[in-house]
Amino acid sequence: MSLLLEARELVGGYGGTDILNGVSLSLSREEIVVIVGPNGAGKSTAMKALFGLVTVRSGTVWLDGLDVTNAAPETLVKRGMAYVPQEANVFTTMTVEENLDMGAYTRRSGIQAAKDRVYTLLPALKAKRRQPAGELSGGQRQMVAIGRALMVDPKLLMLDEPSAGLSPKVLDEILDAILAINRSGVGVLMVEQNAKAALSMAHRGYVLQGGKNRFEGPGPALLANREIAELFLGG
Amino acid sequence: MISDANLGLIMYAIALMNIGAIYAILSLGLNLQWGVAGLFNAGIAGFFAVGAYTSAILTAPDSPDFLGGFELPIPLGWVGAMIVSGALALVIGAATIRLRSDYLAIGTIGIAEILRLFLKNEEWLTNGVRGITTVPRPFQFDQPLLSELSFLGMTLTLLLIAYVAIERSVNSPWGRMMRAIRDNEVAAAAMGKHVERRRLEAFVLGSMLMGLGGALMSQYFRFIGPEATEPFQITFLVWVMLIAGGAGNNRGAILGAFLIWAIWSMTELVTRQLPPDWAVRAGYLRIFLVGLLLQVVLQRFARGLLPERIRQRIRP
Amino acid sequence: MLIDFINNYLMNGIVLGCIYALGAIGITLLFGILRFSHFAHGDMMTLGAYLGLAGVWITGQPVWIVLPIAMAATAGVAVGIDRAFYHPLRNAPTIVAVIASFGVALMIRSAIQVIFGVEIRSYARGFERPILLFDAVRILPRHVWIIGLTVVLVVGLQLFLKMTRLGKAMRAVSDNPSLARVTGINTRAVVIATWLIGGALAAAGGVFLGLDTQLDTNLGWNLVLPMFAAAVLGGIGQPVGAVLGGLVVGIAEELATYPFFGGQALLSPAYKSAVAFAILILMLIIRPTGILKGRVF
Repeated sequence: MSLLLEARELVGGYGGTDILNGVSLSLSREEIVVIVGPNGAGKSTAMKALFGLVTVRSGTVWLDGLDVTNAAPETLVKRGMAYVPQEANVFTTMTVEENLDMGAYTRRSGIQAAKDRVYTLLPALKAKRRQPAGELSGGQRQMVAIGRALMVDPKLLMLDEPSAGLSPKVLDEILDAILAINRSGVGVLMVEQNAKAALSMAHRGYVLQGGKNRFEGPGPALLANREIAELFLGG
Repeated sequence: MISDANLGLIMYAIALMNIGAIYAILSLGLNLQWGVAGLFNAGIAGFFAVGAYTSAILTAPDSPDFLGGFELPIPLGWVGAMIVSGALALVIGAATIRLRSDYLAIGTIGIAEILRLFLKNEEWLTNGVRGITTVPRPFQFDQPLLSELSFLGMTLTLLLIAYVAIERSVNSPWGRMMRAIRDNEVAAAAMGKHVERRRLEAFVLGSMLMGLGGALMSQYFRFIGPEATEPFQITFLVWVMLIAGGAGNNRGAILGAFLIWAIWSMTELVTRQLPPDWAVRAGYLRIFLVGLLLQVVLQRFARGLLPERIRQRIRP
Repeated sequence: MLIDFINNYLMNGIVLGCIYALGAIGITLLFGILRFSHFAHGDMMTLGAYLGLAGVWITGQPVWIVLPIAMAATAGVAVGIDRAFYHPLRNAPTIVAVIASFGVALMIRSAIQVIFGVEIRSYARGFERPILLFDAVRILPRHVWIIGLTVVLVVGLQLFLKMTRLGKAMRAVSDNPSLARVTGINTRAVVIATWLIGGALAAAGGVFLGLDTQLDTNLGWNLVLPMFAAAVLGGIGQPVGAVLGGLVVGIAEELATYPFFGGQALLSPAYKSAVAFAILILMLIIRPTGILKGRVF
């Protein structure tokens, strides 16, 4: 099992203050990996640091064995990394199909094939493809955002709290879609507030606290750990 | 005895100081708006012109050419100028201050442009394009040198009063709150309506100073005409003065005014030597160079000659 | 009466509206994508008009032939100005770029004054016989040209924004710049495209105005207020809104001088631009998002 992504001892943050004080994680292409932890643990910041949106002051990020520390998002997208932010993650004034076109901005060919693949993985989008993304429901928007990210045929898909603000039923649909995406050969890294649902489907998980790794292990094992459950996951 | 050549030089220097001091008052007004409160005023000329005309009309002798004959004392002309400029600022600020600074800029440009039309077209009030040529000037003596010097004494005194008053208010809780609003929009938004009011106060006070500047300028030249509202002479020069001197710092605002005015009027001495056709073009070249100077300052010395003093911030 | 109204007021309003629209599109696109009010846009129109004049002088061709050259040259200058004066300020608060745009406005104008002088000029134009429609409506050939070419340019722009990869990317950056960055959209290309389009359309507007009236070096500055009114009215970031806004402002300005009640003009023609200002302030108070729901900051 070769590592798709590896991050070692990341330190960094916005401006002068460090939010990350040594985060390490890894992921292979077959895996779904989840980052959980209490509020302010640096989960989203860690993901942004991987994607070049937060400056890494020390530590290293490798993608497919290549050092991509502090690389620009544009470069990372071309290298096969895709990122779905937590909020404002669709172009609201553009149609679903145009959102997907934008996802394919960095590629010159195979756009139609990529679109077909997105419609297969996220069938709900096909019927809505001429509708402005701003008119869709929260769950549908999340699918548009994921579909947009898939348009580059990424090796690694990173999702920042895909469940935020969704009802349990819609959340199930999204998580099913993520499982399908993973089975189609895309490594998935997720930050999740909803730890239970996320850990139960994840191959492995990391628990962050205070910008550092606190626990790591297979998803179900972390769920079963009483200390973690009490400390971070609210029972 | 002072020789004629020397006298000319001295008179020139005093005139330079006089106009520089009036620009410094304008620059202080802009500093209150932009440097302290972060409000973008692109229509300084409008507030300036309103002040100039108000004071001219209030103090000038009766004339068939324009509204007048009030012949009020000169200080009342200043007060009137400040009241009318302030009222104008209140109206335009109330409409646009809650929006992003760009909108305030558009609003102030609009006011200045409409005033330009108004002052040019309402002949009964302003004598139209010919302007008002009988603006009384205080401290007139037989000796021109004495007149100039006493006028300078007056402008410098007013400048000093304005400086002390603004320094005090900037260092009062009011001023600290203004800077907090400017520097932290999130916190400012949390304070809500309160903030809009504070910003409006700063905008009105700054515009009142601009009105005063207009009144003084019209008295100094004993003339005011509608070309005073052209965007270059007042609005743009004052912006360059403040940015070059150091926005946020009152001393910087004053230094910038004297310095830029000195550069501006001394380059005129050079271009005046040219043959007439070239002199006109060289005049526009000077404007071009001031525009370029602003770009250089913005890109390389964004904080100006005397940067805003970073005050000790209280950490939670 | 009605015919007089159409011939002397409505037609002029539409032509003026087209000219405002061409400038307002640039303003609204720049505001949407670069997030700052470009106050030098009027002077960019002046530049386009004078480059057209230079083209007429050099080639001896009518200004219609020279128009594409003037548009291309102005577009090029616009990209150069961005590179030299706005790009270096991109990490500063956007209001700094607004201040810079004031300086740029003066630099453009004074450069034109140095090179061309301040005399009023005009493109050589013979006497034009109005075209008669329905035996009553008279329309000048140059007005037909101005309206027709504006329609072509606006439709072309709309197709570009809806159909092409770069056009869509421009809309994406305008819609959500941080998501555009995360998506891997090349912002530099988008910025250049925006300046090219804004500059070219501004030049067209400037040439049209110079053709309809005369050229003087304050031509563009006098348009800044109505064009911003048009952009705000239409909704910031909405090119179609800018066109609608331009037409509304242009027509309103002309109609305001129509003697609706008796023989007196409703508003003295000297105060035409006050109409634009009134529209602007009214919109900012009651509906800052504009007709087509633009962005409000």
